[in-house]
Amino acid sequence: MAEPLILLTVGLPWLGALLCWAAGDRHPRLQHTLAVSFSVAAGIAALLLIPFGYERPLVTLPIGGAFGDFTFSPDGLGVFLAAVATVIGSLAVIFSVDYMRGEAQLGRYYAFVLFFIGAMVGLVLTTNLLLMFVFWEITALTSYALISFHNDDPKAVAGGIKALIITQFGGLGLLIGALVLFAHTGSYDILAVIANPGLLPAGALAWMAFGCLAAAAAKSAQFPFQTWLPDAMEAPTPISALIHAATMVNAGVYLLARFFPAFEGVPGWREAVMAVGMLSALLAAVMAIVATDLKRVLAYSTVSQLGYMVYAVGAGGVFAAQFHLLSHSVFKALLFLGAGAVIHSVGTRDMRQMGGLGKKMPFVRLVFVIGALALAGLPVLNGFWSKELILEAGLEHGNPLWMLIVMLVVSGLTAFYTFRMVWLVFYGQQRAELHAHEAGTAMKVALAPLAFGTLTTWLLAGSFSRLLSESLPAHPISAHSTGEILLEVLTAPVTLIAVLVIGLGLAAWWQRDRLTGFAPALAGIGKAAANSFGFEAVNRAVVVVMEDSAEKLRSTQTGMLSWNVASLLVALIVVLAILALGVGLP
Amino acid sequence: MNPNNAFLLAVGLPVFASPVIYLIGRIATRKNPKVDLARWLALLTLLADGYFLLIAGMEFIQTRHELLIAVGAVSLRLDGIALLLAAVVLALGTLVTLFSGPAVARDSGRETYFALLTAMIGTIIGLGAADDLFNLWVWFEAMALCSYVLVAFYRNEAAALEAGVKYLVQSALGTVLVLLAIGLVFANTGSVDLDEIRIAAQPSGLMLAAGALFIIGFGVKAALVPLHTWLPDAHSQAPSGISAMLSGVVIEAGLVAMLRALGALHLVTVSWGALLLGFAAVNMLVGNLMALRQTQVKRLLAYSSLSHMGYILLGVGAGAVIGSEYSAAGGFFHILTHAMMKGLAFLAAGALLYSLHQAVGNHDPLVVDDLNGASRKYPLTAFAFSVAVLGLGGLPPLAGFMSKWQIFVGGFQTGSAWIMALVVFAALNSVLSLGYYAPLVNRLYRCQPVRIVEQGKPIPVLMSLPMLILSLGVVVLGIWPSLADWLTGPAAQSLLMLFGG
Repeated sequence: MAEPLILLTVGLPWLGALLCWAAGDRHPRLQHTLAVSFSVAAGIAALLLIPFGYERPLVTLPIGGAFGDFTFSPDGLGVFLAAVATVIGSLAVIFSVDYMRGEAQLGRYYAFVLFFIGAMVGLVLTTNLLLMFVFWEITALTSYALISFHNDDPKAVAGGIKALIITQFGGLGLLIGALVLFAHTGSYDILAVIANPGLLPAGALAWMAFGCLAAAAAKSAQFPFQTWLPDAMEAPTPISALIHAATMVNAGVYLLARFFPAFEGVPGWREAVMAVGMLSALLAAVMAIVATDLKRVLAYSTVSQLGYMVYAVGAGGVFAAQFHLLSHSVFKALLFLGAGAVIHSVGTRDMRQMGGLGKKMPFVRLVFVIGALALAGLPVLNGFWSKELILEAGLEHGNPLWMLIVMLVVSGLTAFYTFRMVWLVFYGQQRAELHAHEAGTAMKVALAPLAFGTLTTWLLAGSFSRLLSESLPAHPISAHSTGEILLEVLTAPVTLIAVLVIGLGLAAWWQRDRLTGFAPALAGIGKAAANSFGFEAVNRAVVVVMEDSAEKLRSTQTGMLSWNVASLLVALIVVLAILALGVGLP
Repeated sequence: MNPNNAFLLAVGLPVFASPVIYLIGRIATRKNPKVDLARWLALLTLLADGYFLLIAGMEFIQTRHELLIAVGAVSLRLDGIALLLAAVVLALGTLVTLFSGPAVARDSGRETYFALLTAMIGTIIGLGAADDLFNLWVWFEAMALCSYVLVAFYRNEAAALEAGVKYLVQSALGTVLVLLAIGLVFANTGSVDLDEIRIAAQPSGLMLAAGALFIIGFGVKAALVPLHTWLPDAHSQAPSGISAMLSGVVIEAGLVAMLRALGALHLVTVSWGALLLGFAAVNMLVGNLMALRQTQVKRLLAYSSLSHMGYILLGVGAGAVIGSEYSAAGGFFHILTHAMMKGLAFLAAGALLYSLHQAVGNHDPLVVDDLNGASRKYPLTAFAFSVAVLGLGGLPPLAGFMSKWQIFVGGFQTGSAWIMALVVFAALNSVLSLGYYAPLVNRLYRCQPVRIVEQGKPIPVLMSLPMLILSLGVVVLGIWPSLADWLTGPAAQSLLMLFGG
């Protein structure tokens, strides 16, 4: 029973992708219908798969040789993320029915969305590291294709290529990890190395551990690779919600959580993971405070929240990281889709032109505020519980206290920029002549379940912890009931401090006019944040250096036959010299 | 049929059919200019040849005994490398023949085209199977002769003639070096038979010099940097079908010739493999950087061939130097997938070149701006081109990812820090290459086509069919890479025997 379900969860979206593409752009209604039915079917299949997470069924496609056998074996982590990918995927597809109505090249859009969903499911269900890398790269490919879906817009094209190249560059880390694993064990079996990290010599394991960290940082838009995510906001908004908030960017966190038992013993690895998460959370939160583009604020906040999860994994709180991943997927998808409804309605992403939209879009305001409160970490929404669990994990295992303090500060900053965003969009005076209308039916159908989830998913804490602890024997996760977890959070001292800090952030926005005295002191930070702390300059410098050297190298292609012949003779002399020296491989 | 006879026919048929194709094609065209008999005869020849190769190849695969035959002074050996090269050249050649019909239909001399194409395919099969240095050189020269004329096929175009002359002069210089090398080896060992040389060739200065001459002489054709300067002109000026053959098989045939010659000298020094690895690094970097700023599509693809030769060299070089079977198999797998992907890329570019420029009677090159919005009018061609370049960039689930992966796995298995560093360098180069592949795809899928696309002529079905087949192949091998194992595995074993056995 489980085996066909696994194949269906991966295969249904891919079949749907083929059909949507084959249906042709002359039949948009058919394409909408196909996309919705196949994504919903995949969502149902993934939900049905959850109970099998305990059983660890195995599907093997024999390939062999240098590629290993392609294996899938769902466990708690896998089925949970597959469910997130397909359920939020189907909601994003439903939302797209309104959002993308009348757009050209719908077939390409839906084909890539469904292709992505299938690949994301494959990524979390497979136990073959090569296959994981394959799916990893396919998600990068689809992300690139969808960011630059509007190919006529140079910014969209640049954003897509930037995302592709940066994630591929980081992906080299995962490539090295997979190659090291195969070179030492002769297989790509992930579970074997998790169960017994001693399979690899310490040096090789360290290469693998830090390689995976680099790959995860690039995929999850973490320090120092965070720059691609804000530019990825050129994508159609359902894509930002699905790929760049709720699913693909989680792949990095998933990778770190999956390999945690294998890598935790590598000297310096846990500290490095925590540092990456902390820096990302902090820098992105500061950038979110000064950003004026609604989607960019959400993008920075995604980087920041993913930073929390990465920090949590490093701190040893795998369960907290995954629980926050669940909360974040739901409330951030809600925020993005809500923002999409606003942008679709008013036709701009600039918050300075919005304001007072709440009156015209009461439903969107309601759900958006729910999502925002969860993002800010206010009780009793799902974001509150999971964030507190992360902060608690920061206290355990002898983790450095100063990092925890930074994370607490970030939660205050989060509250500040969240309220700023909500205020600028929905409250106050309307600052420009914008025509606004309420969201369409399909949009509401997608938004309502997400809002409901934001209010309720924290109730799943108990069964979620049981699923993870029972199916992941190597991971340091113990099963607790929901009541125990909630009580633990409520009685932890760090919770009180966090709520105070969040309150401070709220108060700071409330009393922002009185705080203008600080403005000159903070102007420098604001300016640096607006310039993304110099990371964009580094990106540009790399591009310029590559293009310059390429341009200079062109002078070697003289087109003159005599030079061509001369280079041939020079090469002969060089080869003779090398041979005379007897160079071999050292 | 006796496998030995089948093997002999597989080598001989295209070569001997070539003049017949020309004559019949010429006579038929003179009687009725609309009849294009040469193309169909060529296709028939290649299909029949494929059948003979299949019989001989199955015998070799099943028994793992090399097929040896000698006709007078011509001795031939079917081993893994020969089979792989023959299979690749026949498959791609057949598709190119199918594709080229409409493209050269309006040009005078189309029977020359098909006759020479068939002959070139035959000579490459012969080159792969040559069992002594003299025959190797003869096949190599014969292949080169066919390709010179085909590169300069548009003989009224100054640029095509210039490209042809450069190619001719540089190749001729390479040939002279190869001849010198054969002379040195013969003087030293008293034999031109590869097996006898393997035993007789001992380390000495003269043999080192001979090896260097082989590397540079064959290296011109194999497009090693810095011997590559003829390639961007030749590959971009040739008819598109020929560009596909040149990039997909001819430069690889040069490499195979080099490997045969160096393999015979394997006792002379351990440096051969290291030299190949050195060229691998240079080829990857220079090819990618040169392609990065190109605005002509076919020139861009030509430079990308340099970098892909680098990947092949990495696999084959690691196989030669350490004896890594996965590396060698990966190198040969990449020869196969590169032939498919680069062949597809050139065919798709050729289809666009044909419909946008040639069909309206101009000989301007296809520039990247011409691709803007092409998917609106030519969905299949745009899709095929995207599959090809994304595959070349090494993205899954396309074949290029898997062949690069196999090369990388082999490299890491060697345990040599230098080769592992080279693998990481190669992977970095793949990322760099996306910097010029990806924007092409973005251009194709713009909503607003440029004027030249709107005015373009339709693409004939016969041109679309080969593209469809190749696209499918690139995807299938990307999902199920072990489908090619039966071909690449024996080739890898043959290479290891050349350099170690």
